[in-house]
Formats: sequence, C-alpha cells, structure tokens
Amino acid sequence: MVAKGQKRKLLEGRGGAWESQLQSVLDISMEKFHRDQALVEPSLLRSVLISNTLRQVQSEVRAQVESLSSVKMPSKPQTHSGLEPDFPSGSPSSTEHNAPLFSLNDENSNTEEDVMAWTSEEDFSLSSAISVILKDLDTVIDAGQGPPRAPLGSVENLTGDARHTQYPPSSSRTERASNVVPSVKSEAACLGCPQDVVLEKLLLDIDTSVFEPEVNLLQGFSVTADDLVKYLPSLSKSPSASSSSSSSSHGQATWEIQEIEHVMDILMRTYPQS
Amino acid sequence: MEEESDSRKINNSFLRDHNYATEADIISTVEFNSTGELLATGDKGGRVVVFQREQESKNQPHRRGEYNVYSTFQSHEPEFDYLKSLEIEEKINKIRWLPQQNAAYFLLSTNDKTVKLWKISERDKRPEGYNLKDEDGRIRDPSTITSLRVPVLQPMDLMVEAMPRRVFSNAHTYHINSISVNSDYETFMSTDDLRINLWNLEITNRSFNIVDIKPANMEELTEVITAAEFHPHQCNTFVYSSSKGSIRLCDMRASALCDNHSKFFEEPEDPSNRSFFSEIISSISDVKFSHSGRYLMTRDYLTVKVWDLNMESKPLETYQVHDYLRSKLCSLYENDCIFDKFECVWNGSDSVIMTGSYNNFFRMFDRNTKRDVTLEASRENSKPRAILKPRKVCVGGKRRKDEISVDSLDFSKKILHTAWHPYENIIAVAATNNLYIFQDKVN
Repeated sequence: MVAKGQKRKLLEGRGGAWESQLQSVLDISMEKFHRDQALVEPSLLRSVLISNTLRQVQSEVRAQVESLSSVKMPSKPQTHSGLEPDFPSGSPSSTEHNAPLFSLNDENSNTEEDVMAWTSEEDFSLSSAISVILKDLDTVIDAGQGPPRAPLGSVENLTGDARHTQYPPSSSRTERASNVVPSVKSEAACLGCPQDVVLEKLLLDIDTSVFEPEVNLLQGFSVTADDLVKYLPSLSKSPSASSSSSSSSHGQATWEIQEIEHVMDILMRTYPQS
Repeated sequence: MEEESDSRKINNSFLRDHNYATEADIISTVEFNSTGELLATGDKGGRVVVFQREQESKNQPHRRGEYNVYSTFQSHEPEFDYLKSLEIEEKINKIRWLPQQNAAYFLLSTNDKTVKLWKISERDKRPEGYNLKDEDGRIRDPSTITSLRVPVLQPMDLMVEAMPRRVFSNAHTYHINSISVNSDYETFMSTDDLRINLWNLEITNRSFNIVDIKPANMEELTEVITAAEFHPHQCNTFVYSSSKGSIRLCDMRASALCDNHSKFFEEPEDPSNRSFFSEIISSISDVKFSHSGRYLMTRDYLTVKVWDLNMESKPLETYQVHDYLRSKLCSLYENDCIFDKFECVWNGSDSVIMTGSYNNFFRMFDRNTKRDVTLEASRENSKPRAILKPRKVCVGGKRRKDEISVDSLDFSKKILHTAWHPYENIIAVAATNNLYIFQDKVN
C-alpha cells in the first residue's frame, strides 16, 4: 500500500497510452484481416504484415502478462463463467506459435484486496484487455493463411441465456477498460454463437476448479482453458478507473459477452482434440 | 470491385482520348532506357507510353531536349484465371529496358503474372512500285502489267510500331513485383512474393526457379520477397529484399537453387524506436544497385538506406525521408498508407539519391554534401520552366509562411515512382496520373 496513489498514476500514464494503442492496433488489424479475407485474392505481402503485427501485439501482451504474473497471489475459485462465440478460424495448427500464452503455473487469480494492494487499476484493465486480445489473436493468426470460414450466427440469444442462466452474478463485476469493450463488442456482434448445448457443456466444465490441461492446442499454444479462466476473475476485479466512457451496466453486459467469447474460443479449440 | 473494373474498362474504351483522371491512367512505373534517350511509363490500364528526347537544336537552345510521346501501346489486357476464378489485373508493375543492340528498342513489361518482351521499331521508308499490287494494296490485274519494275524505298512519315516478341507466362503463382535484366543480356529474372525465376530472353516455355521461400505450411509464412535486382556488372550476383527489412545477396554459381544467401544485410532494430509498426515500416519496398555496383540502396517506409556490399551488419548511410510520420503510424496503418511502396533511384554518378513522399513531394539526398531537398511535383505550385522551390514540412510549433504542416499533407497524392536519367540531371516523377520531367537549370 505504499505510495499507492503515486504508483498508480505513473502506471496509468504509461499503461493507458500503451493499452489504447494496443487496442487500436488490434482493432484495425482485425478489421483489415476480415476485409482481406473477404477478398478473392488478398495481397500476400499485406496479409503477412498484418498477421505479423497481430503476432507482435500478442507477444507484447504476453510480456505484460508475464510481468503481471510475476507477483504471486493466492488463488480463488472461479465461479463465474462466460462464453463467447468463436471467431472464424481457418485450418488449424499454426505451428509457429510455440511459446505458451501464459507461462503461469501458479495461482493467478487475485482476491480483490490483494489486487488493490499490489497493482494499480490500470494493470487490471490491462490484464483484462490482454485476455480479450489474446483470444482475438488466437483466432486471427490461426486463420491467417487458412481458408476463410463463414462467420457463425448472431450472438444476441447467447447473451441473454448466458447472463440469466449460466453463471451467478458477481457483485464485484465491473466494467472493463472501456477501450477494450467497444472493440470486442463489435467482434462479438459480427460473429456467431455456438449452440446452447455446447455452451452448457462448456460452462459446466469451467465451473469445476480442476481442469484437465489441454496442452496441445491446435495452434500450438500451450494455453489451457484453466489458465485462461484463472485470468477471467481479473476481469471481474478490475474497477478500471482509467476507462473513460462506458457505463457500468453497459460494460457489464458487454463484458459478459466478452467472457463468453473468451472461454468459448479456448474450448472450441481444445474440444476437437478431446 | 466488379463495378470498379467494369467502369475502368468503359473508361478505357470510350474515354481514353479525353483528359480524364481515370484510374486506368494512374502511372505505375517509370523507367529511362540505358542511354536516356527514351523514357517509358506503364499505367494501371496496361498501357505503355514511351517518350523520346528531342534532338537538341541550335535554333532553340533553351528547349534542351524535351521528351515527346514516341509510342503508345497496350501491353497487357485484363485476364481471367478460370481455374481460380480470379481476375488478373493489367496494371504494369515494372518496365525494364534491354540494352540497345540494333536500331530497334526492346523492353520488358510485366503485370502480376506475365512478362512480355516488346520491340519498338521505327519505319520511315516504305517500298513503292510493286508489280502485282498497286499503291493502295489492291491486286493489279495481271493482264495490265506490261513491264517489270523494281520496288524502291521511298521516305514516309515516321511510324513507330510496337510488337510483342515474347510472352513469358505461367511461371508465377503469386504476384510479380520485380523484373531485372542480367548484365549478360541473355537472361532476366522475374520475382513474385515467394519465388524468383530465371528466364532466357529467347525461351518462353521454360524458366528456372532460383529462389523459393515458400514454407511447406503456408501458415508458417512470415516473410515475403518484396524486390530483387541483378548486379549491374556481375551476371552471377543478385539481391532480393524481404518484408522483414533484410536483403540477401545470392551467387548463382553456388548452387542451382539460391535459397542460401551469400550475404545477409540487416540492420539491428533500434530498441528506442520500437513500436507495433516496426516490422511494417521496416519492410523494404525497393532495392537498387548503384551504377558502380559497389553499393545497394533500399527504401523502407520512413527511410532510404545505402549499404556497402562489403558490410552486412548495418547500412553505410541512412536518410530520413519523412520522419515526421513516425508519430502518425497508427493512422497511416488505418488508412493503409503504411503499405505504400515507394521506389528509390540513384543518379548517374551515384552521388545523389531520390525518392518520393506524400503531398506530391519528392526528396533528394546528396551523399557527398549530406544536403537534402524536398521538391513538389504539382502544376498548381510551379509554372512550367520555373525553378522548383524547395518545400519544407513544419513538424511542430510555429509554422512559417511557406511551410506546410504535417496534418495538411495530402496522403492521396503520393509519389511512388521516379526515374533518373543515366547520365544527365533529368528526372521523371510520376504523380498519380501525371508525369513530370524536370531538368537541371540551364545556366
């Protein structure tokens, strides 16, 4: 708690700018990627540069994640769950993504108090942004050179069901960084949702505290579902004071959608192997 | 996309004679021939226009050899690849002249998929006095022929005709970005995103693949070839540049497939300048050997670099073209300008290098005096025969009277293609659909 305010201000200054640029780069790259996929013959140079930029965003995010995770925190069982529609992804196995997204082996979920103790709000919005972005990156990079798949159906139904039936409302849920919200929301809006059956199955799995590690993801990431979910509580904990615009309720709804997207993404990828 | 191409075709056929700024008129390549007598431009509509320099006349010494249209021809037509259901653009990506060996001129022009060798020849005499046909070409009635005569060559109005002599096709899966004629004058290479093929100028049904960087799994692709060129004197040496900012020099004597480079030129990244766009702006858009063959020049998004062939670790010189854009990379990424591929050229003595920028600006750097100048190619801002006024971009703070601020730059007016006469200080600058030719001022 030493000089909390001071530290927070410093990190906010740096982190806010970095995070907002991270987010805009991701947004723009995703948009370009999707637009190029719609073309019959996208320029190869362009595609390679855009996907390399996305990879770089991913590695920056990973670096941030690793630095955040360097502080060990007691774990807290995750009770919430969120599912998100899968992004369109092409053929599997991009073997160049060898490094794990998260090299965390410890508990990474933080209690609210601990969170406030060791890091600023900015860091939390960062980690929440990170989770979103990582999921975006997974799908994008995976789809980078593969054949494009048609996007899935609409997400409206999913939102309603998920929110009301699937997970217990958490009082500590707050909005994310607002700059994360709009981008992922737009992604969610344009992508489809899995069927409810799959949803429920996934949610049940997520609710358990012990997961079978799905090591070999199709892309070669060694991120596991439980790794990611351990991150999800950080979303709920982030008051995200630095975020500017969204109201809480709006943020909460979209944040739930995003969570759904996150977890769905991972699990859709792990499931083909199981 | 479909409508665009349709309207382009319509414009080609109906409106070509008018001075419309149609998309088909956008100049896509500019190249002087080896003597500087001819200047060729290719455009997006697949046409090649060749200009010839007037002979200097004593009557009008101030008109020091202006360039006039010499020949115009349609080099490439839009094609349709039925197997892939893709339209192949007719845009001329590159033109390269062959050295002149007889009265005719030869050039190679290429679109995304096909390279063509064109012969441009003059005809200023025609035979007259045939026996079997009269001057109009109609067959004479044999019964009216009473005497035999020998046809005589009579002068006629100069006619310049362009004929395709070779078509080098079906060798590239990806889009051709460069062609380069070898100093042996027998072979040339064509380069696409992943492969480089070597051709013999006489043989069109066979080419040899000399570089192939296609990975077994396309999802592992992280780097593409962006440009390639033969060494000006050593016919076994060539270089190719990549989207990651590296240049590889290869020796064809080493092996048939030159996947292993002989030299690898790459500058280590400056950590203080690192950003999300570092890789994109390091992608090399053009590579050119100096006339001497000792140096290499590369153009990436913000800089021009001169490399010594003997030093692979870092460039000899780095020139900032428009560093004021470094803080705007995110917006330039958004509006796609960051993907613009600028070319760069040497002057005849390798002492000055030139490249284009935005707002119809182009920059010249004197390697010896280390001075640089920014000039503008625009009709509004310069009268014909007036000396170009140096321009300046104001980076911040107070803007002086003649300066232009970074935010007022017009990013749709980009100078991607320029050319420098091989011996004299004459430059050709392509500004969208206009061609500007500038000369040193006459004293």
